Amino acid sequence: MAERDVSLPPVREGMAANRGKPVEKPKDLRGTLLRLWSLCRGHGRGLGWIMVLSALASASSVFSPFLIGRAITSIDSGFSAVWLIALLAGLYVSDWLVRFVQQYFMASIGQRLILHIREVLFGAMKSLPLRYFDRHQHGEMMSRLTNDVDNISTTISDSLSQLMIYVFTIIGVLTIMLISNVFLTLISCSTVVLIFILTRVITVRTRKLYKQQQSLLGRLNGQIEESISGLSLVKAYSREGAMIREFEDCNEQYRAAATQAAIVSGYLMPLTSVINNLSYLTIAVVSGIMAAHGGVDLGVISSFLLYSKQFSRPFVDIANIYNNFQSAVAGAERVFEIIDETPEPEDVPNAVPIDRIRGDIELRNVTFGYDAEHPVLRDVSLTVAAGTRVAIVGPTGAGKTTIINLLTRFYDIDEGEILLDGVDLRDYKLRDLRRAFGVVLQDTSLFGASVRDNIAYGSDGTTPENVRDAAVTANADAFISRLPQGYETVLDGGGASLSQGERQLVTIARAVLVDAPILILDEATSSVDTMTEQKIRDAILKLTDGRTSFIIAHRLSTIRDSDVIVLIQGGKIAEQGSHAELMALGGLYAEMYRTQTGE
Amino acid sequence: MKLIMRYVRRHLGIFLLGVFFLTLETLAELLQPTFMARIVDRGVKDLDIAAILRYGAIMLGITAVGAVGAVMRNIYASRTSQQIGRELRGDMYKKTQSLSHENIDRLQTSSIITRITNDVTQIQTFVNGLMRIMMKVPIMCVGAVTLLIIQTPEQMPIMAAILIVCAALIAANMKLGFPRYGRLQKRLDRLNEVSREFLSGVRVVKAFNAEERESAKFSAAASDFADAGVSATRVLAVFGPLINLTVNFGIIALLWISKAQTSSEIGRLMASVNYMTQVLFSLGMVSNILNNAVRATTSAARVGEILDETPALAELGADTAEPLDITGEIAFGNVTFAYAGAARPALSDISFTVRAGETLGIIGATGSGKSSLVNLIPRFYDPTSGTVAVDNRDVRTIATDNLRGAIAVVPQQSLLFTGTITDNLRWGDENADEDAVLAASRTACADDFVRSFPDGYDTVLGQGGVNLSGGQKQRLSIARALVRRPKILILDDCTSALDASTEARVLNALRTEATETTVLLISQRISTVMRCDRVLCMEDGRVMGIGAHENLIADCPTYRAIYNSQIGGE
Repeated sequence: MAERDVSLPPVREGMAANRGKPVEKPKDLRGTLLRLWSLCRGHGRGLGWIMVLSALASASSVFSPFLIGRAITSIDSGFSAVWLIALLAGLYVSDWLVRFVQQYFMASIGQRLILHIREVLFGAMKSLPLRYFDRHQHGEMMSRLTNDVDNISTTISDSLSQLMIYVFTIIGVLTIMLISNVFLTLISCSTVVLIFILTRVITVRTRKLYKQQQSLLGRLNGQIEESISGLSLVKAYSREGAMIREFEDCNEQYRAAATQAAIVSGYLMPLTSVINNLSYLTIAVVSGIMAAHGGVDLGVISSFLLYSKQFSRPFVDIANIYNNFQSAVAGAERVFEIIDETPEPEDVPNAVPIDRIRGDIELRNVTFGYDAEHPVLRDVSLTVAAGTRVAIVGPTGAGKTTIINLLTRFYDIDEGEILLDGVDLRDYKLRDLRRAFGVVLQDTSLFGASVRDNIAYGSDGTTPENVRDAAVTANADAFISRLPQGYETVLDGGGASLSQGERQLVTIARAVLVDAPILILDEATSSVDTMTEQKIRDAILKLTDGRTSFIIAHRLSTIRDSDVIVLIQGGKIAEQGSHAELMALGGLYAEMYRTQTGE
Repeated sequence: MKLIMRYVRRHLGIFLLGVFFLTLETLAELLQPTFMARIVDRGVKDLDIAAILRYGAIMLGITAVGAVGAVMRNIYASRTSQQIGRELRGDMYKKTQSLSHENIDRLQTSSIITRITNDVTQIQTFVNGLMRIMMKVPIMCVGAVTLLIIQTPEQMPIMAAILIVCAALIAANMKLGFPRYGRLQKRLDRLNEVSREFLSGVRVVKAFNAEERESAKFSAAASDFADAGVSATRVLAVFGPLINLTVNFGIIALLWISKAQTSSEIGRLMASVNYMTQVLFSLGMVSNILNNAVRATTSAARVGEILDETPALAELGADTAEPLDITGEIAFGNVTFAYAGAARPALSDISFTVRAGETLGIIGATGSGKSSLVNLIPRFYDPTSGTVAVDNRDVRTIATDNLRGAIAVVPQQSLLFTGTITDNLRWGDENADEDAVLAASRTACADDFVRSFPDGYDTVLGQGGVNLSGGQKQRLSIARALVRRPKILILDDCTSALDASTEARVLNALRTEATETTVLLISQRISTVMRCDRVLCMEDGRVMGIGAHENLIADCPTYRAIYNSQIGGE
């Protein structure tokens, strides 16, 4: 309130309003700060200057009331105050210079630091194994890339420099006050104690309220998300009324809780200012009495009164700043958690470079599970000669996709070995190995770029003609040509403007273009109609000619003409052979085939 | 901004009351230095303890009034902003519930969610700030300057000069700052988009060795964002200290002038210095305001887009007040339908009828228009031309609730909601008794696995039914449709996750249990549709043939081709 001092950064309103919000505590404050510091290497000098400048900036807030006080005393007693005023002017000018330089450079140093941390984090993220992505929520990882990183820089550096300013201010003011008058200083200090007590009392209350608000917010957001992603169903069942009622109910509860929390935390500031002014008055009375007995002169009193207003503020805010600081450090820890995750295994020292791949693949006694207790594949052995078309079939959850995950080393096997051209997969360079596979995955992720770039994804330096050829092979050319800008049409929202089938055609074209020696098609045709699938199958037949290929499909009719059909059940290879052989065998495959085709 | 003001206007009373208390608070803040000055001038200087106490009492009184003002202002600010937040959320939510599929397709689900959550919060913060800081700055400035001029009229020219310089600086700050903060926001969106894409496509990234490419893309977005950040904060770095300096020179000028007039009272001088510092403090908030206003404006625009959306469905007006007792006969008459912005129609000139109680299979290639066709019946979309009729009445003349009440849809993706299994099944009919729920569950072959759960029908499903397998979800969503006892049941390829024998069991049960229901069964599998009374075969949005399986095999080449590709050709 009235005692707001100019020299302190104006961020308090917001912070005081947050008092009592649950604070996330860092697990290892010191360790994390040291690591952060080492991340800042290269920016160290810049940060050092910022600290120095902060100290200088606080000097001005310490000395200007002192000078003003002296000037006023001089004027009052008829002395020339010219020098003092000139000094003050000099102080203001240098204060301006320091602040300008500090803020101007802080802007770029801070942003470069964020950029650096962000790049380090993304660098770590991109080499994490797939296991990590499969197990963690993407939204959470996103918030680490954006919020947490931003917080590290803005909050940590802001609160650090603010803490610096405050500490210097407190020390400076306290020293000058002590030199001026010890007794009056003690009165000022008692105010600080009172404010501390007040803060505690209020914080205890708001903490509970904020917690309640937080949990209601979680419920509210959940409700919004659920009902809007399921909107078609809500409409189909005419549930709009019920949903709105439910929502309004939660919405109102949240409003009430949030209002309550805000109101209670709003008591702090005005009450603090009452205490502050009480102390002002006390100092005035006491110093008046002292002056009457000739204890102090007027200059001391006036600068003391200015200081007393400046003195308690840092104490009130330091706790808050420290809380913000702590939660930012906790955010930094979350960032480090990702950086510390084990990345994909490095290539072995004498990794074999791949020149030409024949495409012989052998699985020897492979055992694998996504977690230790539940193996998905148990002791699986399979030999595939180069150029063989292999179909993998089996009930959902049998481990079909898992085999693909292992071949591409998205995951590494637990026991046994997988050989490519007689060499263990782990002995190849990972990049080389993945280049050997052309993959069409179950999820048809497209990127926010043109159709052409999406097809050329993974094949650098390709020509427009090649892209078109690949699209023609994948039967995608026809629909692409009908798009508003043809191949240059920019897809947004993950290709939401295309149908599922069309997206699959694009991903198939992508695999066609990389022209890899081994092909993997995972449920690649599940959402394409049987007619289109027929065409794709023709294309794949051409493409797989002479190449080793693995095709996973639910619809058995599509893989009938594979060289080998491998039926996986319960983590083991249950049946293996050509379509005719397996039909003759009369086992699970034959049964599945009959029920599917209705024969 | 207009949007925010519209909501503020609704609570103008409370808002103005809040502003009143804010003014009270600000005036108290302004007056305090005067009385603090009096304490020095009349009390301390003359060593008059009684005067100190007298002015001290007044000062404390003012402080108390200020404190009351601050507390009340906070109460009203919190109430208003939270209330406005609540209303915005509620209005947006209601709006989305009234939107048609066409609107949702265009706006995109995830974007709607962010708008209701984040953007509303931004606006709420802004409104709160409006009543907390933003209104305070002008009140404070005007008040402080007025008091300065009243107390020391001779300083008017200097004050005026300083104010003009400050105003110019602030204006320049705003002018340079606004577009830069706007750009910062855009670049942040881009950064988010790049990260999201990487995360959702991480398999593809790895399979195609494209980590470096993604890294480069990310770095580019991140460094664009950093550049925008630097340029936005630099504007503040230039103007903030400059404004500080200007006001500080005002203080110098004050001192300098009083130096010449030795008679001036110290207290008055101190008060003047204090007013200057208060002006300075207010101006220091400008950067906060700027930042806040930019975000709120962007958010308000995004919120406005949803609120201004007009539901794409227009009612022709139900011509009967009485709810219609629908029997389930369906007729399409020369129906053509195109999605908004699509180059070619999804459905062209489609005509056929379905008798009440008939089971019609629908088969055709992906994108041939099967789902589009059935979506016209409950009016998820309206045809571009032609009519869709139920019981010989254009569906647009039947009240939407009445129409949809008679139809149950089982969509391709089976969505379940947070709540118990029974809650989910009762979606079909809130008043269904337990027996009806159980019967439906049995028909959908869901009863067995539900009973195998420890809590049976009281099992609580997580969001989206996460704790169930795909096949279990599909069976529950079929059961939910059956609870409704619909006259028209639309099964949109909803048995894909079931193995063939379970699928056959479910479909058989449907045939025996729901004899009076018209069933439209979409499937990719010919083995599924061939058991229906009749089959509709589609290609490229056209009907290629309709009739019993045997007739189509004989007469419809498209149907024969599908049949051969899936079953024949042995």
